Amino acid sequence: MELKTVKKPGEVIVHLIGRLDTPSSLEIAKDVEELKKEASGVIILDCTELSYISSSGLRIFLTLRKEAAIMGGKVIVRNICSEIRNVFMMTGFLNLFEIQ
Amino acid sequence: MIKVKKFSDVVRNSLRGGLLLIIVATLVLEATSLVQYYFSREGLREEAALRAESQLDNIHDKIMDVVDQAEAAVRNSVWIASWCLDVPDSLKRVCYRVVDDNPVVAGSAIALVPKKGEKLFCPYVYRSPDGLVYHSLDNEEYYYPSKEWFTMPIEIGEGYWSEPYWDEGGGEMLMTTYSVPIKDKNDNLAAVLTADVSLDWMTEIVGSLQVYPTAFSMVFSRDGTIMVCSDKSLFEKKNISGIVSQMEDTKTLSFIGKEVTEGRSGSKVVKDKGKKFYVHYAPVQKTRWSIAIVIPEDEIFGDIRQVGFYVLLMQIIGLLMLAIILYFIVSNLLKYRKLTEMKEKMEGELKIASGIQMSMVPKTFPPFPERHDLDMSALIVPAKEVGGDLYDFFIREEKLYFCIGDVSGKGIPASLVMAVTRSMFRAVASREASPGIIVSRMNKGMSDMNESNMFVTFFLGVLDLSNGHLRFCNAGHNAPMILTDAIRELKVEPNLPLGVLPDFFFTEQDVTLEYDDALFLYTDGLTEAENINHEQFGEQRTKDILHGRKTADEHLKNIRGAVDAFVGEAPQSDDLTMLFIHYLGKSDSNSSRHLILQNDTSQISKLAGFVESVCESKQLSPDLSMSLNLAIEEAVTNVILYAYPEGTKGYVDIEAQSEEDSLIFVISDSGKAFDPTSIPPADVTASLEDRKIGGLGIFLVRNIMDEVSYERIGGKNVLKLKKSL
Repeated sequence: MELKTVKKPGEVIVHLIGRLDTPSSLEIAKDVEELKKEASGVIILDCTELSYISSSGLRIFLTLRKEAAIMGGKVIVRNICSEIRNVFMMTGFLNLFEIQ
Repeated sequence: MIKVKKFSDVVRNSLRGGLLLIIVATLVLEATSLVQYYFSREGLREEAALRAESQLDNIHDKIMDVVDQAEAAVRNSVWIASWCLDVPDSLKRVCYRVVDDNPVVAGSAIALVPKKGEKLFCPYVYRSPDGLVYHSLDNEEYYYPSKEWFTMPIEIGEGYWSEPYWDEGGGEMLMTTYSVPIKDKNDNLAAVLTADVSLDWMTEIVGSLQVYPTAFSMVFSRDGTIMVCSDKSLFEKKNISGIVSQMEDTKTLSFIGKEVTEGRSGSKVVKDKGKKFYVHYAPVQKTRWSIAIVIPEDEIFGDIRQVGFYVLLMQIIGLLMLAIILYFIVSNLLKYRKLTEMKEKMEGELKIASGIQMSMVPKTFPPFPERHDLDMSALIVPAKEVGGDLYDFFIREEKLYFCIGDVSGKGIPASLVMAVTRSMFRAVASREASPGIIVSRMNKGMSDMNESNMFVTFFLGVLDLSNGHLRFCNAGHNAPMILTDAIRELKVEPNLPLGVLPDFFFTEQDVTLEYDDALFLYTDGLTEAENINHEQFGEQRTKDILHGRKTADEHLKNIRGAVDAFVGEAPQSDDLTMLFIHYLGKSDSNSSRHLILQNDTSQISKLAGFVESVCESKQLSPDLSMSLNLAIEEAVTNVILYAYPEGTKGYVDIEAQSEEDSLIFVISDSGKAFDPTSIPPADVTASLEDRKIGGLGIFLVRNIMDEVSYERIGGKNVLKLKKSL
């Protein structure tokens, strides 16, 4: 699992690359804490190269989303594949995120 | 090398120390001896001086005894002689009396002072063997008025002891004469009365009193003539000057001569012909004679010299022995040092050999990480640096070729045979597929060149991974254990060990392994491992440990740990080798597959491969694969995170059963009882503010799978997940 962060004024684009299963969710916990600081702006989670997500990964999405709601920011999920879209649908995440 | 250097220092130091010891010992011994010798010598010298003094006194007293007797004899007759002067014939009788009454007097004469115109008159009586003999000395030939014994007393007017002389007149012996002047009534000198004393008695006295066997005494007259000498050769020199002319140390002797003739006493050391002599001398009263005693130094110090010689000899022997002992000690140390160096060199080489040997057997586990149909591990623990045990395995054409062996003996010879055996296994098994043929060929090869009569017990198996068919051939090795629903010994033909008979026919056997069956191969170093009480580890302990579901690696680690704990302080007597093969293959449609994970989240990455291969065998769509993957991961994560108390080790067993129209995953663990189905599902319709962070996992499991059921069976949590296809 790899995270690539591109910062622009008022906007952070995070490229999620690989599988976001339980071990890798634990791995990136620190990066997520860093990312929470940007929650007052726009956080774009680019999922073009995300192949798999488990509940631990979903939790991270939800954590960021909740933080943004408090800080007055926004979380945009971009380019999810059909398999992950299914998961989002199942879990009601489609209603919680702005999907592009 | 640093150790060796230090050691050689020790050797050098001990050599130095030893030399120093000998030197110090020598110095101390010699110093002690010298001091002792010096004091002993002084003591002996003093004693010799004392003895000489007392000898001088003794001789002196004896001489004086005679002298006094002779003088008394003369004195007592003076008055009668004086009275008889008028009747010359009666003087003869006086002479008779003097001789007859005094045994020390050898002869006596009364010589009248010749008057003008008168005839000489001198009656003389002397002792002969036939009695007293009278003789007149009035002949002109002898002419007594010119004799010393006559003239000297008249001259000095008192008694006079003559110089010794050879009496030709009658006694025919060495004599000295005491003569006294006699006065007539008118107080005029009228005659001289004499008493002859033979010097023979003095010779007797001097000869009988000897302080040391080779010491000798002499008596000198006042002009240095030797009167008596117990040394005959010196006596012939007649007087002191005769002796002086004969000797080397003339200076000292002349000095002594002067002292003697002047009537002094003293002592001197005289050297002659490399020898030292102690000379003590003292005058005799009245006569002005002198006595001298000569003691050769050898005589005084002879004993101490002999003792000194023996002491020195013993010291030399002792020191030599000390040196010899030291030499042996040091040479032993040097030998030991050489041995140590050799040993260190050999140990270094053995270490390298050990590395080479260990690199011959596969050491990376799991050896085939890409294969899900095989979990295996192996372990070799040599008793010494190098050992005679071996195992090896490789996969060729979907068949696992594996072997285990134990070379007779231990150490380097066994290790060489081990290397040969392993090479042969690789060479033959890379072309042949039949275990019987492989073992027979190896046996032929090893018997042909087996001059040292080494043999190898060997077990070789060929496992067809596609169907679990195992063909094997045993060559005298102990039977492996087979783990199915129970643990038992695999029934094997014993055959013969490799290297015994070149043309022996090895029987091949076979057995079919089912999914989840396992083989445990080992050498007798395991079951025969002994503790300090000489109890053996045995098969039962091994079987007890092999119970329960664990990875191959875990099984071997557990056994190793148990053996170490059992053996304790006892030395490892034999090489220990184990090979564990867990067969997880045969993925036909009706079979099930297993995956065992530890309770560690990092293990979850293994799960994806397992689930995917199951899905692949059912040719499921990627979408469904991912969903199943997700569901299984959520269920397993749940167990890993919550089933076992934190910090304790546990396992999760995932079994995938493939039915015709469904896939069933059974996830079981031995943790605390926990029913995940009892967790209320997350509310996915809740607004953002109400959404809970947790609870998603079990929701996903339920959503993806068609049936989810939980049971607690025999202390295990068993979660069954079914997906209809």
